[in-house]
Amino acid sequence: MKLLQAVSENYANPITCFFHVLFKAAALAFYILFSLFVKSFVIIFVITVLLAALDFWVVKNVSGRILVGLRWWNEIDDEGNSVWKFECLDGESLARMNKKDSWLFWWTLYLTAAAWIVLGIFSLIRLEADYLLVVGVCLSLSIANIVGFTKCNKDAKKNIQAFAQNALASRVTSSLQSAFGVI
Amino acid sequence: MSHNHGDTIPLHPSSAQSDMDEIESLIHAAPSSATVLPARPPSPPRASIPISSSPAPAPVPSKPPLPAASIPISVSPVPPASASVSVPIGADGFGPPPNTLTEPVWDTVKRDLARIVSNLKLVVFPNPYREDPGKALRDWDLWGPFFFIVFLGLTLSWSASVKKSEVFAVAFAVLAAGAIVLTLNVLLLGGHIIFFQSLSLLGYCLFPLDVGALVCMLKNNVVLKIVVVTITLAWSSWAAYPFMSAAVNPRRKALALYPVFLMYISVGFLIIAID
Repeated sequence: MKLLQAVSENYANPITCFFHVLFKAAALAFYILFSLFVKSFVIIFVITVLLAALDFWVVKNVSGRILVGLRWWNEIDDEGNSVWKFECLDGESLARMNKKDSWLFWWTLYLTAAAWIVLGIFSLIRLEADYLLVVGVCLSLSIANIVGFTKCNKDAKKNIQAFAQNALASRVTSSLQSAFGVI
Repeated sequence: MSHNHGDTIPLHPSSAQSDMDEIESLIHAAPSSATVLPARPPSPPRASIPISSSPAPAPVPSKPPLPAASIPISVSPVPPASASVSVPIGADGFGPPPNTLTEPVWDTVKRDLARIVSNLKLVVFPNPYREDPGKALRDWDLWGPFFFIVFLGLTLSWSASVKKSEVFAVAFAVLAAGAIVLTLNVLLLGGHIIFFQSLSLLGYCLFPLDVGALVCMLKNNVVLKIVVVTITLAWSSWAAYPFMSAAVNPRRKALALYPVFLMYISVGFLIIAID
């Protein structure tokens, strides 16, 4: 109980953090345990890929928004071109984001991808093409999220800089104008 | 106007500014806020939203409104201090664009589910009065295709009496790789199609074959299987035809469509041959 209290004091959104980690850990654990003990490839494949897909959705739509205030998606505009959109909370809200939350977010993202790569190497060594398929799917989902959020993050930083410059310029302008208004 | 979503983080930082300063800063911020705001361009009827909806650096993108789900959202977070500027936003009739960054999770789920259903209806139930096939799968998603491919693999694997795992792995790999290769085929023929849109489309067109595989799994009669598979195969190909043919040069239509047909035929054979 005390541990839980300590945990929830440090993280601003403990439930979201929990779910963020839950599906990743479940997919990895399920894959490792079942491929060691159960010989049914179909079940392993379906459940692992399902958990990985759920994790992808949760990270992209829920924990990305709540833990780091970022979101990315793809759209097709009127001319039929594919456009990648990035969205972020504005500077103040971003600064208010809990540091621990975002630390957890990014590190679990990277660690999961690394874990899948290691598992992929194992199944390569054992020459199991089936399991390589599972690892391939899960890995591509993790990498998609990493790439999407990294781009979104860079975009957000650029926007914050631009906003800060503009805010500065506008305040200078408005104070100049009020100065001239007085004259 | 609700800021009553439990987890809404106030997006507008300007509570300290007077209205006049606010409007001034908005005017000065406007040129760059068009880039700061990755406003989401809505589908054609509401094309005015992105331009007029950049009142503040707070992103206020709009999503295409789904029948019931998002109308309540679309009435929601408009930053309080910019109420005077929000009039042009509301003028399009759909209300201020919803803010997807702070929406409740349940709304995201509902939105995605509604998108899957609408994509399914658009693609699989052919509509002879469809205006522009290319626009139909604008809101592509890969959940539908994922479920259909896995379901087809499971059904085939269940029907097989031996080598279940291999059947599943082969079915999944053939369908996934086949979709990717078919998309590349269209792109190499000089067609205009988005990679993910095409994957999504080919996945959704598997739905009739899923139904056929289910029926064949339940009744193991060869003649019935052939009939069912032929019907569902024709349905799948008919569903895929308008999109694929719209994407390429008319003279290359057959070149683009024939591999699609081939892939569905091979899946159909797989369904018939499994016992």
